[in-house]
Amino acid sequence: MSTQPINADSDQVVATATVTHKRTSERVTSIRPSRGLLDLGLNQVWDYRHLLLTLARRDVSVMYRQAALGAAWAVIQPIFAVIIFTIVFSIIAKLPTPGNVPYPVFAFAAVLPWNYFAEGVRRASISLVNEEELVKKVYFPRLVLPLNGVLTPLVDFLIGLCVLMVIMALYGVWPSWRLIVVPFLVAYAGLTALMVSMWLGPINVRYRDVKHTLPFLLQIWMYGSPVVYSSTMVPEEWRWAFALNPMVGVIDGFRWAVFEDTALSLNSLGIGMLIVAPLLFGGLVFFRKLERTFPDVI
Amino acid sequence: MTDLAIKAEGLSKKYKLGALGSQHDSLRDALRSVFARRDTKKAGEFWALKNASFEVRRGENVGIIGLNGAGKSTLLKILSQIVTPTLGTAQITGRLGALLEVGTGFHRELTGRENVFLYGSILGMNREEVAEKFDAIVEFSEIGKFIDTPVKRYSSGMYVRLAFSVAAHLDPDILLLDEVLAVGDFSFQKKCMDFAKRLQQRGSTIIVVSHNMASIKTMCSRVIYLRKGEIVFDGPTEEGMGLYEADGRLSEGSWFKGEEEPPLVFTDMKVFNERGQETAVFDHGERMTVRMRYKTRRPVDYPSFGVSINKIDDVHCTCFTSADDKLVIDRLDGEGVIELVTPPIKLIAEHYFFSLTMRERGHGDLAVGQMGSTFHVRHPIFLSYPAYGIFREPGEWRHLADTARILESTDAVG
Repeated sequence: MSTQPINADSDQVVATATVTHKRTSERVTSIRPSRGLLDLGLNQVWDYRHLLLTLARRDVSVMYRQAALGAAWAVIQPIFAVIIFTIVFSIIAKLPTPGNVPYPVFAFAAVLPWNYFAEGVRRASISLVNEEELVKKVYFPRLVLPLNGVLTPLVDFLIGLCVLMVIMALYGVWPSWRLIVVPFLVAYAGLTALMVSMWLGPINVRYRDVKHTLPFLLQIWMYGSPVVYSSTMVPEEWRWAFALNPMVGVIDGFRWAVFEDTALSLNSLGIGMLIVAPLLFGGLVFFRKLERTFPDVI
Repeated sequence: MTDLAIKAEGLSKKYKLGALGSQHDSLRDALRSVFARRDTKKAGEFWALKNASFEVRRGENVGIIGLNGAGKSTLLKILSQIVTPTLGTAQITGRLGALLEVGTGFHRELTGRENVFLYGSILGMNREEVAEKFDAIVEFSEIGKFIDTPVKRYSSGMYVRLAFSVAAHLDPDILLLDEVLAVGDFSFQKKCMDFAKRLQQRGSTIIVVSHNMASIKTMCSRVIYLRKGEIVFDGPTEEGMGLYEADGRLSEGSWFKGEEEPPLVFTDMKVFNERGQETAVFDHGERMTVRMRYKTRRPVDYPSFGVSINKIDDVHCTCFTSADDKLVIDRLDGEGVIELVTPPIKLIAEHYFFSLTMRERGHGDLAVGQMGSTFHVRHPIFLSYPAYGIFREPGEWRHLADTARILESTDAVG
């Protein structure tokens, strides 16, 4: 590519060289104090999609490399949760399940999307502080970090989904064509997790309290979602209020997708989305507005 | 097509002191500050950078110099888009590569190979681009077979070499470097300098922040000198460095990591030659008299003063300490003068600077660390070539023609 003599030891060449080479990029970057409120900068995130994928790859590989049991955790963790739930809520408390669905299958179908959601919220909300060094020393659209936070747990989710299939086979429950809605439900759960972290992430940059509050918040949220019990146990007249929790729609939808005995409640999905959409948009604006202050306060 | 690489107009950055020092790390602190009086907030603002305007053409290398806290890093962070300016604008044409800290983003658990890809994408390259340049990157870094070892097992030198190699292969149109060339061994530093020159030849612009005047001198023909956030000089390197050195005298050394309020300050220093004249140029073999005036903030017991001589490229050459030279002072309180007469200085002809230190109780931690003045050593032959090292003393030579007899006589003795 070079047409000029390269002579590193001669200052003379440098001083008299006329610049004939093309730039690597002709892009003009403008640095200004403030941008429009509603410019979300999503096209910039697209420019940095390689970084997003590399970070996800890094997190997945580090996650399994540091643990002695590696990827086995993705299997062990939900199975243990389901065993405990089965003992406490099915054997001791004798909670009923709709239709003839065995309780472990019933619980696993909810634990799976719930764990994905909870892990996504946890990772995405603390991602900015966790990557403090990067935020302070390198420029990139900060949205990449929470996006990576909700992307990485997908690997655990996929492994868990295979486990669910095995468990269902063991109990003689067969999946149907309804499984095709699973990707949609997962995307919805991911966006909900992103929405939460759009608010909690920037707050965590300033107040590390978020990190300590998060486990409680997620625990309360889990019991407010039909993970260990069925939505049908909620009185009919209160279902709409129950559905204000977007995870109700996700979990009910999931159960509908994997076993046939429950009815799909489009209502709860619809109500949840009406909540998530404006909060997600507002969260993106909020995140975007505070993004520029992260390196100053982190 | 514009020939400008960077055009900055009135760049300013304001920080709230509270946000810099003790941040609101918990809600409790924040609540407390909400109830605090408003006017206390106003007092805690400061401008890290004030109204900085300049233009940099393609292919031009510019050094940014200034004392600690002058706003150099803030300027670089604004140009690299990490922080946003409070006021002002800048336009950058071309691909920008910023290396503010070598190896930021490296993950310790991952191998060198994985980190090359990770770091490449952090710097803005895509996977194919990194893959294409991978071999060149590894070769430049001299990491060799360790490329598949987790970087947590790397030495700091290897770490730096690998990181710099990735950044260097980004093919940036504009490269921002913050103090990164200060690390790594001498031959790698030389390699980096050569690389920077090559980048410049193909039209890249390099902006360097450094305390190392030697690297600024070799890389840049122009410097921007910042003082307390303002550009006070923008022009030829020699002239700017003169200003910087004058200001830097007796300021706290960038290497000093002691208390914020040292127990003692050096308020003045003068250097005299053998004829008692104040000067900054000495002949090789001449004795120097360094006279320092100090003032204590609190009484100091058994102080040991230190005067170090450093080559301008930060190579530490020697150090004289009063404790080692058996000067015992029980207690210092108030003002006074301390004087050191050096043995004949046998340093090679170069540009040097002093640094002044004080330790309590002989060999305690550094309590004071200040920059001293600079001086030149003159000699017609022993110039600054790597072959001469840093000092030159005559040795005694003999030519013994009959080797056999010498060996015999050694045997006889042994």
